[in-house]
Amino acid sequence: MGYFGNVFGGFGSLLSGMSVTLRKFSQTVIRRKAVTMQYPKELPELAPAYRSAIKLIRFEESNSHDCVACKACERICPSYCIKLSGGKVEGIKKKRVAEFEMDFALCSLCGLCLDVCPTDTLEYSKVYEEAGYNRDWRVDLLAEFRDYEEEFVAKQRVIEEKAAAEKKAKAEAAKKAKEAKKKAEADEKADNDSKEELS
Amino acid sequence: MSSDSQASEGEVYSLNMGPQHPSMHGVLRLLLDLRGEEVIRAKPVIGYSHRAHEKMAENRNTLQFLPNTSRVDYLSGMIYNLGYCQAIEKLLGIDVPERAIYIRVIVNELNRIASHLLWFGTFLLDLGGITPFLYSFDDREEILDILDQVTGSRLTYCYGRFGGVTWDVDETFLTRATAFLARIRERLHMYKQLVTDNVILRERCTGVGVVSEALAKSYGVTGPSLRASGVAYDVRKAEPYGGYDRFDFEVPVLHEGDTMARFHIRIREIEESCKIIEQAIEAIPEGEILPKKMPKRFKLPEGEYYFAVESARGHFGMYIVGDGSDIPVKLKLRTPSFSNLSAMPETLAGTMLADTIAIVGSIDVVMPEIDR
Repeated sequence: MGYFGNVFGGFGSLLSGMSVTLRKFSQTVIRRKAVTMQYPKELPELAPAYRSAIKLIRFEESNSHDCVACKACERICPSYCIKLSGGKVEGIKKKRVAEFEMDFALCSLCGLCLDVCPTDTLEYSKVYEEAGYNRDWRVDLLAEFRDYEEEFVAKQRVIEEKAAAEKKAKAEAAKKAKEAKKKAEADEKADNDSKEELS
Repeated sequence: MSSDSQASEGEVYSLNMGPQHPSMHGVLRLLLDLRGEEVIRAKPVIGYSHRAHEKMAENRNTLQFLPNTSRVDYLSGMIYNLGYCQAIEKLLGIDVPERAIYIRVIVNELNRIASHLLWFGTFLLDLGGITPFLYSFDDREEILDILDQVTGSRLTYCYGRFGGVTWDVDETFLTRATAFLARIRERLHMYKQLVTDNVILRERCTGVGVVSEALAKSYGVTGPSLRASGVAYDVRKAEPYGGYDRFDFEVPVLHEGDTMARFHIRIREIEESCKIIEQAIEAIPEGEILPKKMPKRFKLPEGEYYFAVESARGHFGMYIVGDGSDIPVKLKLRTPSFSNLSAMPETLAGTMLADTIAIVGSIDVVMPEIDR
C-alpha cells in the first residue's frame, strides 16, 4: 500500500489541482469572463479619496481660492515640498498668497497640509496619468488663479467696504439705540421723580 | 551566485544567495557555507534598504512621522500606520470615536489578509508554482482596490490620524468588503484544492526547517512563525488594543514548527481575519471619525513608553522616549521580521540548499522592515 498509495494519492492531488485550473480556464477563455481593463481606451473610475498633487479649491462665491499665506502647510510638510510666499495686498484687509509652488516629486501624499489649512482651501487633484519625461515636477498652484486675482481683489474690496459700511452703520445704530435708551431711562426717571413729587 | 565546481566532497565552499536573487524576498543576502548540498552555516546579511526611519523620527514632530510608518513595512502599512497612531493616542490619552475604532479594525484586517495573500503567492512562486501566485494577486488586488477607495493609496497608506482616520467609509466600501469575504472564503477552498492538498508542496514542506518552541522563544520570534511552533501569543489577545477585545476570534496554534505548519497558520489566520471583519461590519456604528477637540501640537510627556501591535508578521513595538516637546528623543521600532530572521542561522544549519528557499520564504521576511 505504502508506495502505490503514495503514487495514487499524489496523482489524485495533482488531478484535483488541475481541475481548478481547468475550471478557471473555462471561465475566462470559453465563457469570456475576463477582468482585464483596456486601459488607454477606457479609464478606471477614480475613488472619491483618490490622491494626486494638491491644488487650491476654487470657491464659487469668490471665483478664487482662499489662501491667506499663513504657511501652516509649509511648516507641517514632512517632505518640505511646499514653498509659498505672500502677504498684504493693496486695498484689501485679507492677506493673499503671491507664490505657491509645490514639488510633487518630493510629496508623499500624507495629507497633513490639508488637515492644517485654516481656510480649507487645499484639496487633492484627480490627475490620473502622472507619468512624464522629465524630473521637474514643480507645480505652480496659482497658475489658474492669476487671471482672476485682480477681479478677486476688486470684488473683495467691494465686499470689505460694504462690510465696513455695514459695521459702521450697525455701530452707529447701536450708539443711537443706546442713547435713545439712556434718554428713555432718563425720561422715565424724570417721570418717576415727578410722580414721586406729585404723591 | 558563485559556485566552485572544483569543490570535492568534504570541502566547504561559500555561496552568496542574494541580494538580487530572484527567489530572495527583497534584498536579503544569505551567506551560505555548503558541504555538498548541505548547509552547514548560514548568515543573513542585512542593511541593503536602510532608510533611517528611526533617525528621521528624531528630527520631525510626531505628526510629521506619520507618512514614514507605512513605509517601514510596505506590505502591512496600514497596521503600522494605525499602530503608531494608537501608540500616540494611548500616550496622550486621546479618545477615539467608536466608528473610527471599527473602521480601523476593518482596514487593519483587510491589510493583514492582503499581506498574507502576497506571502502565499510569492512563497509558492519560490517553490516553483506560478498559478497560485496569479490567483492570490488577483484577490489581493481586490483588497487594494477596496482600501484605495477610502485611503487613496494602494500600499503606503497614510490613513490614520491621532484620534481617528482621515476618510469616512461609505456603504459601497462596506458592501465591497462583505462581498470580498464571500469571495475569499470560496477562494480559500480553491487554494486548498490547488495548493494545500498538493503532494509536491506537502513533501517539500513537511518536517522541513523545524523551529522548536525553545528556539523561537530564545530569539523572540513572533507572529505566525511563533504560533506555528506551539506558542499561542498574539498581541491582539495578549494585550488587546484598538478594540480587538470586542471581537470573537481564535489564535490558531500548531505544534510542528515546520514550514508546513507556518503555511497552515497563515491560511487559518486569513479565516480568522475574515471573522473579525464580518463582526466589525455588522456592528459598525454611525458617528464621527475624528474627535471634535484636538490639540494642535502633540507634545510627548517626559518618560519612556512602549506600545505594541500585531502586524502581519508579528509583534511590532514602538519604544518612544519623550522630553516634553513634540519631537521624540528616540523612537525605536521593534520590527518582527528582524527577530524572525535571527532564528534562521540555527534553523538553516544542517538543511539542504533547496530547502533554504522554502524555509526563508515561510517566515515571511520583509527586508525594508528589518533595515528600517
